[in-house]
Amino acid sequence: MKKIFVDYRKCVACKSCETACAVAHHPNGSLFGLVGDIRTQVNVRVLGVEHEAFPVSCRHCDPAACLTACPAGAIARDAASGAVVQNPEKCQACAMCAMVCPFDAISFKHTHRALPGREVAYKCDLCHQRLAQGHAPACVQACHSGALVFKVSEPQREKRAVASLKVYLLGEGGEPPLFALHRELRRKTFARRRMGKS
Amino acid sequence: MKIVTVGTGMAAAEFVQQLRLGGFDDEIVMLSDEPHAPYSPCVIPYLLAGEPPNNVYWKGRDFYQRYRITARLNETVVKIDREQGRLRTASGLVEGYDKLFFAAGSRSWFPRPEWLGVEGVFGFKTLSDMQAIDRYIEEQAVRRAVVVGGGFIGLDAALALRHRGLQVSLVHCHERLLERMTDADGGRFATDQLKQRSGIAFHMSAEVASLDSRNGQLHGVRLQSGTAIEASLLIVATGFKPNSAALTGVEGGVAVGDDLLADPRVLVAGDVAVTRHAISGPDGLYATAPNAIAQARVAAANILGGNERYAGSLNANILRKHLDFPVVSAGLFEGEAVTFTNDRLFRRVYLQDGRIHGYILVGDSRLAGYIYNLYVSRESVAANIAGILADIRGESYYRSLMDLAPAAINC
Repeated sequence: MKKIFVDYRKCVACKSCETACAVAHHPNGSLFGLVGDIRTQVNVRVLGVEHEAFPVSCRHCDPAACLTACPAGAIARDAASGAVVQNPEKCQACAMCAMVCPFDAISFKHTHRALPGREVAYKCDLCHQRLAQGHAPACVQACHSGALVFKVSEPQREKRAVASLKVYLLGEGGEPPLFALHRELRRKTFARRRMGKS
Repeated sequence: MKIVTVGTGMAAAEFVQQLRLGGFDDEIVMLSDEPHAPYSPCVIPYLLAGEPPNNVYWKGRDFYQRYRITARLNETVVKIDREQGRLRTASGLVEGYDKLFFAAGSRSWFPRPEWLGVEGVFGFKTLSDMQAIDRYIEEQAVRRAVVVGGGFIGLDAALALRHRGLQVSLVHCHERLLERMTDADGGRFATDQLKQRSGIAFHMSAEVASLDSRNGQLHGVRLQSGTAIEASLLIVATGFKPNSAALTGVEGGVAVGDDLLADPRVLVAGDVAVTRHAISGPDGLYATAPNAIAQARVAAANILGGNERYAGSLNANILRKHLDFPVVSAGLFEGEAVTFTNDRLFRRVYLQDGRIHGYILVGDSRLAGYIYNLYVSRESVAANIAGILADIRGESYYRSLMDLAPAAINC
């Protein structure tokens, strides 16, 4: 199957992925719909750790610990895309899935897809509905720096994915000089800030 | 090969589904003492809080038709003749089998069974219980309820009723709630949070001495301390007993090895199975949904010709329903304790030989999955764990991924 790979060295923390994801999963389908809407659902989160940035989202593991742990039958694998997909109508937000997900990829909120007055678990759905129409996942399409790449995950990789948590990382393309410079500047800024604090 | 399951719970439903998906084409019979399609016990408390009723049928309401099952419902299995390979129900029905999948589950244990004679007293275990409670609340316009038992199920019940808008009192014999899921400090922290934030009135270190009933209907309860609580609904959630008597003659559960076989023709799974702990802990009843599902999958794979071994049970659990501060725990609370706490969070890990032996996380579920995986993978964490526990942004896993040093504890 095709998966979203992350080359965090190319992430410049612009958060275009977050915005595109929110729009793609909003009933309004436009940027204006998000304004002031607390039920907005963002399935990817750019996590800043020191000078690095990492776009965090679901890895669609196989086998998926969350899918096996769900006692409500609310998580299933989409046959066409292989995505691990939640059914917000069946989800009870019991958090068994979050208890076993090593990536902190599952959050809880009263989203637009939830039944009235109820929290549900939500996470990346690999934009499987967009995929069915021949589009790339919204976050990948929005990523201008090449930090998010949608490509075939080889069976070899899949096997290792069970043993290692690091397998969805890219980096074989090397790091373009400009990115290296950008990261170096960020690292220095961060170090300076930390010095100022202590 | 004719397969018979005793029970239609999570283990049995998963087992049968896996068999059919794996191409098993012979006759399957499922027996239950309830009249329902397979349902999820984890979902049923939500029925009381206004959940759509169909959502409890976690594998669909048409399960028996879809998987070509002969369902024998409202039949209580009383005797299993393992020599002859057949079982008998209370109504006199006799069913032969080639392989038996024994997943009879467990039932509520009532300290004072005579209380059930009073109208308005219920257990909190089965879908039938839940439907009866729901109906009773509607018909009697119940405003006040008492729950006896402050373990996982008791709290689940109290929170669901509170969510429905009832005034709820919870009576617990211990000085802290969830005493099996937590250690003394973690339990106290969780208890304090629940007292402040759940809207439930807690009566700790207390026991119900007597019921006050009028014309056979509950009107209130009196505690041993003399306190009287007015209530027309009483839910008793003081514990469970595995339904193993039909197979073994005794009630302590059925001990099985990693092949899950009680004898060559009888597989055992679910709440009734006594299994090995996968990591740290004695053999025991580990009655959670993920264990039941894992057992069912191993059993089904072996029927389909595989040679799989059950990897052991985990006692990991999370209480989050109707709560904005989850309580997560797993393992044994023995060894060297490493703790992080602030006004909102309590996180403690018990280490043995530098590896996680057990943990308690109260307040958020951010770290839960990462700690769970460190626990299950038996990774040595002694050097990093203090920094990991102090991580309030959920970045620890990503730190390790990007080869950054663990966060300093005081920043």
